Amino acid sequence: MIYLDNAATTAPDGEALARAVQFTEQNYLNPSALYGGEVSAALASARESLLSKIADPAQFALVFTSGGTEADNQAIQTCGRRNIVLSAGEHAAVYEAGVRLKNGGTELRLAPLQRDGSVKADALLSLVDEKTSLVSVVHVNNETGVVNDIFSLAREVKKKNPRCVFHSDGVQAFGKLPVRLSPDVDLYSVSAHKIGGLKGVGALYKRKNFALQPLLCGGGQEGNLRSGTENVLGILDFAFAAEKKFASLEADLARLKELRALLSDALDKSVYTILSPENGSPYILTVSARGLRGEILQRLTMARGAIVGTGSACSSKKPHSRVIEACGYGKDVLDGVLRLSFSPHTTREEVLLAAQALNGSAHELKKRIG
Amino acid sequence: MEKVIIIRYAEIHLKGKNRGYFERVFCVNLERALKGIRHELHRTSGRYLVANFDEEKTEEICGRVSRVFGVHSYSVGLCVPYDLNSVYEAAKEVCPREGTFKVETHRADKKYPMTSMELNAHIGGRLLDDFPALRVDVHTPAHTVCLDIRENGTALVFGKFEKGAGGMPVGTSGKGLLLISGGIDSPVAGYMMAKRGMNVELLHFHSYPYTNDGAKEKVKELARLLSRYSVSAKLITLNVAHIQEEIHAKCAAELNVTLLRRFMFRLAEKTAREMGAKCLITGESLGQVASQTIEGITSSNAVVTLPVLRPLIGFDKDEIVLVAKKIGTFETSVLPYEDCCTVFLPDFPAIKPKLSFIEEEEKKLDVEALMREALESKEVFLL
Repeated sequence: MIYLDNAATTAPDGEALARAVQFTEQNYLNPSALYGGEVSAALASARESLLSKIADPAQFALVFTSGGTEADNQAIQTCGRRNIVLSAGEHAAVYEAGVRLKNGGTELRLAPLQRDGSVKADALLSLVDEKTSLVSVVHVNNETGVVNDIFSLAREVKKKNPRCVFHSDGVQAFGKLPVRLSPDVDLYSVSAHKIGGLKGVGALYKRKNFALQPLLCGGGQEGNLRSGTENVLGILDFAFAAEKKFASLEADLARLKELRALLSDALDKSVYTILSPENGSPYILTVSARGLRGEILQRLTMARGAIVGTGSACSSKKPHSRVIEACGYGKDVLDGVLRLSFSPHTTREEVLLAAQALNGSAHELKKRIG
Repeated sequence: MEKVIIIRYAEIHLKGKNRGYFERVFCVNLERALKGIRHELHRTSGRYLVANFDEEKTEEICGRVSRVFGVHSYSVGLCVPYDLNSVYEAAKEVCPREGTFKVETHRADKKYPMTSMELNAHIGGRLLDDFPALRVDVHTPAHTVCLDIRENGTALVFGKFEKGAGGMPVGTSGKGLLLISGGIDSPVAGYMMAKRGMNVELLHFHSYPYTNDGAKEKVKELARLLSRYSVSAKLITLNVAHIQEEIHAKCAAELNVTLLRRFMFRLAEKTAREMGAKCLITGESLGQVASQTIEGITSSNAVVTLPVLRPLIGFDKDEIVLVAKKIGTFETSVLPYEDCCTVFLPDFPAIKPKLSFIEEEEKKLDVEALMREALESKEVFLL
């Protein structure tokens, strides 16, 4: 089966996992115990390694979490005060955390999107005022693959309100695009399982002097910012997988750019409209089969040997993708959204076969429902 | 002092010369329900007795017995020799320590040296002596201690009557085929017919690729839940996707659902006849949705000759939900899986379709070929 839903999750890297399992089997002590030195040292080196990948360890620190969702929630829920500004293209983990704050009395301001899913910078900045406590803009939009220029956005936000916290969800950027956090970014969420790590691990990068609040209380782990015995296996595996992923980051990028273009070209344009911008993340190609249903196409394509992601469900009860809708598309496009996403293991051959399956499915469906 | 479960049956006593048959089927069903648990099942006059089981299994046996149709009520009790002291010791076990109570005796053995009234007074008096916080109330007691003096020298002593599932033993009312959709209503309809003694078989229509496997899994789970009530643990599925496509392509949009239902009824009748089922069962409730109007029902009935039983026809939704919750299918039924894709749902379905118009539209389709194709897609799942 060809797997083109790598933005949902990736296969765990076997080598990284084996190393992490071996260490954990031999060193099972609680890292926070007085005698847990060896485990605690391994954690420290994993932290150091992950930190240095995208940030200056002198300026940034890192809090391990249970994944991207927890990192996003910690950022949003603990930083919301009078009003917060989110882009309309945020992942549900950010958006729903914002809605929760709104239900508690915080004013939630949503910045509109361009057609490609990127946030309209001027509109975003105009929503920021002296009472804005937090701005959050997703780095790589998980539904369209568009890359927001979070660093210049952060700079502008800070110019307008230096006390405002700037957070970005970097789950689809980390290990995939070259990233160097600037001090204008206070918080940055990442996840392990999108780059060959395990599910259930993530991290929140934070500017060193930034006074982050915990979401969970307890034993005071992670500098009292995230209590709970550390997920040693997951964290070590995360660091090992990242080590490998970052080593080939540039090469992967170049190769996937080609593969994405190849797939984009191979798709029958009488059926598929490309929604992802050309300069978006090469890991994601979002398309829409106008007038058809993404969910049905997904099943037909699976029967032809390829797993792809879907943007909407064949149901009157489930709404369309909030994000693609915010890009300004109508119902015929929203119904037919499919997300094709790659990993470094995706091959040329697979991409061509997947294109064939997608074209075949779309034509079959068109024929069947007229 | 042996723990026993006393089972009383429901309407079987209304039967005349057929009674033996009903009792035999009831007995087989009880044995089937208790399969896998060590026990003995005895038939005594007018009731059944589960004996010789491990005490820690009491609750499980009660749970299983409570779901067997034909059980009017059951009680957990004690079986003792019928001498006064043994009976009293057992009565002490089942009697509460405080509150109002009375003793009620039933004497099958009329040669017993004491009358029922005398026994009531004797045992009740001793209980009052031992538990001073008890008070007698013969009209509205909070607790009743029942003594059942049997002809074989034993007595059954028990306190509480638990309500059973009622109805008739499954298998005494023939076989029917339930059209099960995955919604709230059809499992309830199946339950109700099983309750009246019918052997209920299950048929589900799906429309892959327009519906997903989640919907099928959901129906399998519903079937599993229903099988606890002696509904068949076998699920037959047929794919009607191509039928929907053809209707969508060739016929008036407002008749989409009406026409599909006529196909479903035809397919169901064919399946029913193959398995020897003598009727179809649906969860329709009058006026609930566009296809469940009297005109809709007429149009579906017109294509079959088997009787179609609709046990929920006069039920409100909340009444159906109440039963669904009682039999434990509600939570599964409301899981968000689609049983039909919105692609084929018209914006305005016909509420009162005319039969002549329906038949005219249906002529545009090759009914026989579509039926054959759907029947070839048959899958059978044993749950």
